[in-house]
Amino acid sequence: MILSNPLLHTLAQSGFPQPMHSATLAHYLVVSAVMFILGLIGFLTRRNLIIMFLCTELMFQAAGIAFVAFGRFHLDFSGQTFVIFVLTVAAAEAAMALALVVLLFRRKETLDASEWKDLRG
Amino acid sequence: MLYSVAKLVPTVAQADAALDSRPPLLLPMLVVVPLATALLIAAAPAARARTIALLGTLVALVGALAAMLVFRWGEPGFQLACEFSWLSHLGINLSMAVDSVALMLVALTALLGPICVQASATAITDRVKTYYAWLLILQAAMTGVFIARDLVLFYICFEFTLVPMFILISLYGSTNRKKAAIKFFLYTFTGSVIALAGLVYVAWFNSHLSPAVINAVGAELWQTFPKLGKWTFDIATLEQAAQLMSGRQQAWVLLALLAGFAVKVPLFPVHTWLPLAHTEAPTAGSVILAGVLLKLGTYAIFRFCLPFCPVAVVEYAPLIGVLCVIGILYGGLICWVQTDVKKLVAYSSVAHLGFCILGLFALNHAGISGSILYMINHGLSTGALFLLIGMIYERYHTRSMKELGGLAARMPVWATFMVFFTMASVGLPGLNGFVSEFLCLLGAFQASTAWGSATGITAEGALDQGLWGSAGAAVPGATPGNLGPWFAAIAGIGMIVAAMYLLYMVGRIVWGPLVEPKGHDHAHDGDSAHSALPVDLCGREVGVLIPLAVLCIALGVYPKPALDALSEPVKSVVMTVNAARSTVEPSAMTTAAKEEAAQ
Amino acid sequence: MHDGAAGVTAAGAAASGPWYAMLIPILPLAGFVLCALCAVFRVRSKLPAWITVGLLAASFAVTAAMYSTVQGTQITTVFQWITWSWGSGPGQSFTANFAFYLDGLTCLWMLFVTGLATLIALYASEYMSHEAGAGYCRFFAAFCLFVFSMACLVMADNLVLLYLGWEGVGLCSYLLIGYFYKKPSAVAAAKKAFIVNRIGDLFLALGIMLCFVHFGTVEYKEMFAQAAVYTKAVSAGEIEKVPLVAQLIAVLLMIGAFGKSAQLPLYVWLPDAMEGPTPVSALIHAATMVTAGVFLIARTYPLFLISEYAMPTVAWVGALTALLAATIGMAQFDIKRIMAYSTVSQLGYMFAGLGVLTSVGAAAHVFTHAVFKAMLFLACGAVMHGFAGQLDLRKLSGVGSMPGWRIVNVAMLVGSLNLIGFPVITAGYWSKDTILGEAFANPSMQGVAWILLLTAGLTAYYTFRVYFRVFVGPQSYEPGEELHAQHDDKHQGHADHGHAHDQHAHGEKSGASHGTHDFHPHPPGWAINTVLVILTIAAFAAFWPIKGTSHPSHLGYIGQMMDASSAAYDPHHDAAMYQFAAHKPAPGEPRSHATFFGFDAHKAMMWVSGFVALIGMAIAYFLHYAGRTSATHSRADSWLPAAGPLANWAKHKWYVDEFYDFLIRKPLLVLAHLFHIIDQYLVDGIVDALGWLPKGIGRLIRPSQSGELHGYAFGMAGGLAVILLIVFLVTN
Repeated sequence: MILSNPLLHTLAQSGFPQPMHSATLAHYLVVSAVMFILGLIGFLTRRNLIIMFLCTELMFQAAGIAFVAFGRFHLDFSGQTFVIFVLTVAAAEAAMALALVVLLFRRKETLDASEWKDLRG
Repeated sequence: MLYSVAKLVPTVAQADAALDSRPPLLLPMLVVVPLATALLIAAAPAARARTIALLGTLVALVGALAAMLVFRWGEPGFQLACEFSWLSHLGINLSMAVDSVALMLVALTALLGPICVQASATAITDRVKTYYAWLLILQAAMTGVFIARDLVLFYICFEFTLVPMFILISLYGSTNRKKAAIKFFLYTFTGSVIALAGLVYVAWFNSHLSPAVINAVGAELWQTFPKLGKWTFDIATLEQAAQLMSGRQQAWVLLALLAGFAVKVPLFPVHTWLPLAHTEAPTAGSVILAGVLLKLGTYAIFRFCLPFCPVAVVEYAPLIGVLCVIGILYGGLICWVQTDVKKLVAYSSVAHLGFCILGLFALNHAGISGSILYMINHGLSTGALFLLIGMIYERYHTRSMKELGGLAARMPVWATFMVFFTMASVGLPGLNGFVSEFLCLLGAFQASTAWGSATGITAEGALDQGLWGSAGAAVPGATPGNLGPWFAAIAGIGMIVAAMYLLYMVGRIVWGPLVEPKGHDHAHDGDSAHSALPVDLCGREVGVLIPLAVLCIALGVYPKPALDALSEPVKSVVMTVNAARSTVEPSAMTTAAKEEAAQ
Repeated sequence: MHDGAAGVTAAGAAASGPWYAMLIPILPLAGFVLCALCAVFRVRSKLPAWITVGLLAASFAVTAAMYSTVQGTQITTVFQWITWSWGSGPGQSFTANFAFYLDGLTCLWMLFVTGLATLIALYASEYMSHEAGAGYCRFFAAFCLFVFSMACLVMADNLVLLYLGWEGVGLCSYLLIGYFYKKPSAVAAAKKAFIVNRIGDLFLALGIMLCFVHFGTVEYKEMFAQAAVYTKAVSAGEIEKVPLVAQLIAVLLMIGAFGKSAQLPLYVWLPDAMEGPTPVSALIHAATMVTAGVFLIARTYPLFLISEYAMPTVAWVGALTALLAATIGMAQFDIKRIMAYSTVSQLGYMFAGLGVLTSVGAAAHVFTHAVFKAMLFLACGAVMHGFAGQLDLRKLSGVGSMPGWRIVNVAMLVGSLNLIGFPVITAGYWSKDTILGEAFANPSMQGVAWILLLTAGLTAYYTFRVYFRVFVGPQSYEPGEELHAQHDDKHQGHADHGHAHDQHAHGEKSGASHGTHDFHPHPPGWAINTVLVILTIAAFAAFWPIKGTSHPSHLGYIGQMMDASSAAYDPHHDAAMYQFAAHKPAPGEPRSHATFFGFDAHKAMMWVSGFVALIGMAIAYFLHYAGRTSATHSRADSWLPAAGPLANWAKHKWYVDEFYDFLIRKPLLVLAHLFHIIDQYLVDGIVDALGWLPKGIGRLIRPSQSGELHGYAFGMAGGLAVILLIVFLVTN
């Protein structure tokens, strides 16, 4: 039935439970992967520094979801501990990054990332 | 194949340490005091920097003198041992001890400390705190090299000397300082990294020694060196272990070590960083560079190359000897055509240290003793020459011999010192340079198997034997080796060349009609730049030179205490090398030994 | 080596010498320190001179005391110098102490060194008086240091201490030649002296090392004891049994001696050394230091006696040097230089004497030469001092008959007579005659003998050329260049205190330019005259130690001293050694004694050498005195063209200096420049090239760093994709 879908077929063959059952590790991982890819695509395609920054946050959180999911799966709390740690750091880092963005904006009155090429070799 | 080269003399009297009533922290103090002083300078106002630096170096000097006082000079082995555990699980400890060789060099370092501080009084007016702080840190690092008995501690100090020196050259040097500093750093750093590989290989070799091999050499070794076969960086242990390497392994290790140490010395042809660094460095930097930093290389060769790879050293001594001889003549002749007086003295170091290494690789008592004395003496006389040139530079802002001449008429006191230290550098007997130079050459002269055996048959015996040169002839003063009279004779030409270039320098800037740079006139010079300095030397400058002059005379007139003190460490190295020699060169065995072997 | 054994027998237990022997060097050293202190405290009086004279006289007194007490060989040890041992076997220790080897040779040398030094210091107190102040202190400090070094050289009990003295006198020579350091020629001469000497020193050092390697010691006592074994073999006519290396020691020491004593090929520094003040020339470059080479050979005579090659070389080099220097001396006009070449020539005599195995004759000649040559130099110095530095014999005439110059005249005449070996009444005659006689008596040294005889004639000519031109004849003079120089110096001396002195000096100088017109030669004062009188007496008195009393067959007291020293050697008893260079007689075969046309060589020479000297003197009289009406021209000028280019070549010193410059100095300079270029561009170039390697690679991959954020981001994403792909491929 559903196995006619080739992707789900592959997943089922590699030991994943069938869909419509309760949420499993695979679900979380899929969500995480999707989020990460969205973030990545956003980061690669957009030029606006703030959007790009948001995209990195997206990737960050995707990794966080994977962490928590694995932690739950292995019944090991270090995954969750780590995520909390990362969240803390991310908060600080967000503050820093936005401050930097503001400074950069003040310099050139634009948020276009391609305006900044000072590190060219 | 493993060579059984067991030296059964216990080198570290650790058991005695407990009974030793001497202050145990003397050696660490010699490192800590300069470091603490550096911190203090960083915290204090700039106006006080020099005073604090002077006090700190003086305290260190007193410490070094105290160490010399409590040191038992006649005894073999290392003394004043002191060990703190550090990264013990990796076999790395802060272990320190000195033998007479190390202690003399420590004393030289401590002596040059206050001299450098005093010599910088008027030369350094900008960023004073940074300057003195790094000067002090440099002194701590150099002292650390000499007192380290742990390979890692040694290497850290050895490498760390680069940082302060880099800063001193690149911030306080003259026009071309950036290039000089970078070249100095990269050149010597590259070399030392290769040396590190060699040293680590020795440690690795030790950790992989099987107990069976050690037992084959002698089970009693375990008692003295419990860490044999385990992961350790203890120098004494590694010295034993390294001698068990095969000739081929030793050759590679020697090559690696020389890559680092020969650059530091510097030996021809890896010397080109030196003239540049010397010329660009500030006066005190040059003094330290010539006085101590170069000696790190010679000391390391003495401390590691010789006892670690005796077999390879015996085999390659002639090759290194040739490099030394080339360096002596080549460096000397280059000196002769310099116009920059500081560069002249810088190149003279290449020539002088050729003598030093030649003596070291003579691998006999006279040569090695002479070589170690050479380290001290070169530090004194060349250091003083750099000071004197610095004094000229402060007054005239030039070092070109075309712009300077006949300064004896203007500065008789300076001229007197200049001639004095030039003569010390030329190797005039009665001053320090002669003793060491003569012994280095004598060592090279003796060290030849071509003389015949060294069994000490009298002249009468030689006459019966017929011609000289055949086995058994009377050559009581000869030692086994591969150098011989030609090395001494050709290197000896360096004595003539030394006279040529040094007298050329003196004839140019001290004697002759007075020449001063254009636009230079003391009488009308009212600006701040030189108002601090009188025409001739001031009391502070004379005070800087006097201790060096006194030591030059003392070591020239009465070198016996120093020679006696060096006897034990040199003897142990010579024993190690000779033991190795008998395994590689059966021909070097004495006739008597051959006969014994035959029976 | 029966007599030599006197010096050697004590090998095992040489008696320790009197303690006060150490005062001989210590007193001059104290003088050095005191003079240096005078300089520090800016003494402007003649104090340094009196300190020097007093201490040197005391040193002379101690030497005399030593001479009267020391018997045989005694050793006084002061302290241990380069001495330490690293084992107990032979060759396991090195011993070079500050210890003094006291024997006849030491006494002889120290007597005339300290004696002459005292007199010359007294002379210098007046001669240098216009230098009062720092220069005066410097002069006498170096003077004292010289005597100290010379004492170390002579009294050393080992070769290394001798080397200390050897280089020490070289240093003092350097400092004193360059005394007038503002003169570039003086500086160059000083440098040349030091460097040429260093060449000799290198060989001496190598000889010392070889000595140590071969004998295991550098102490004379031990060395001679070991060499005695070889000497036995030589006496037995088996010189080939002596190891080559032992023979080589003497050769190396010999070259060292050639350097210090200005012999071929290393003599070139000595004439230039005349740039120094005249007392220095008299003491260092005539009487004492330059005889150090003779001393070295005499001191190590046992080593030379076992060397098949060294002895004949010494004789031939000595003879050739004597001839060459005499020919150059004949053609010079500077009277001090003539004396310098004469010194080189006479040193050649001494070497030849050593080479033909009359160490006694050589020592006697050293002694007499020291006295009369010092006197000649001092007389020339008095002239130079009085005539403002005039030394050209074409610009001075009839000085002897001027008021106040009588003593100088007498001294000059007596000195000249001694130098040429005027028969019977002069000491120089007897010492020179011994050498000549011995040379003619030696069958293998006939060539040397004839060269020496020819040189004797030339010596007589050039010596009296000076005397006849400068001291007798019509009165005429021109002052020398120092007229201005002295003014200059004085003003500079004052000006050191003030500013803008250059201007001041210039002003004065132009004012003094009329000096030539009202120039009056100032005759020597009491100090110079006293010294000259004493030396004149001494020159005659020198006859007494040579020919006086007690030891008739061996040149009197000097013979006695030499017999009680390491240089003891009696050719009459040692047939084999006597002619080792020619054929080797079988043991026991009587020695063949060469004759001079059938006459006994020694007796014949008494007549012949005197006759030759008189001929030379007569030629000088004919060419330079008879009929001479002015200072500039003499009969010689018309005869000169007959000699063709030879005279010109001799005047230019046979172009030896130029030859050395071309052959050695220039190539070395080129080589030095070449090395410098190689060092900069090749040796350092390789290093720089290695530095360029990473730089080049960096430049190559630099464009990959665009600086654009998205570039890096795509790179990262791409990299991630590649990694994932690899993982995917690997897992499947």
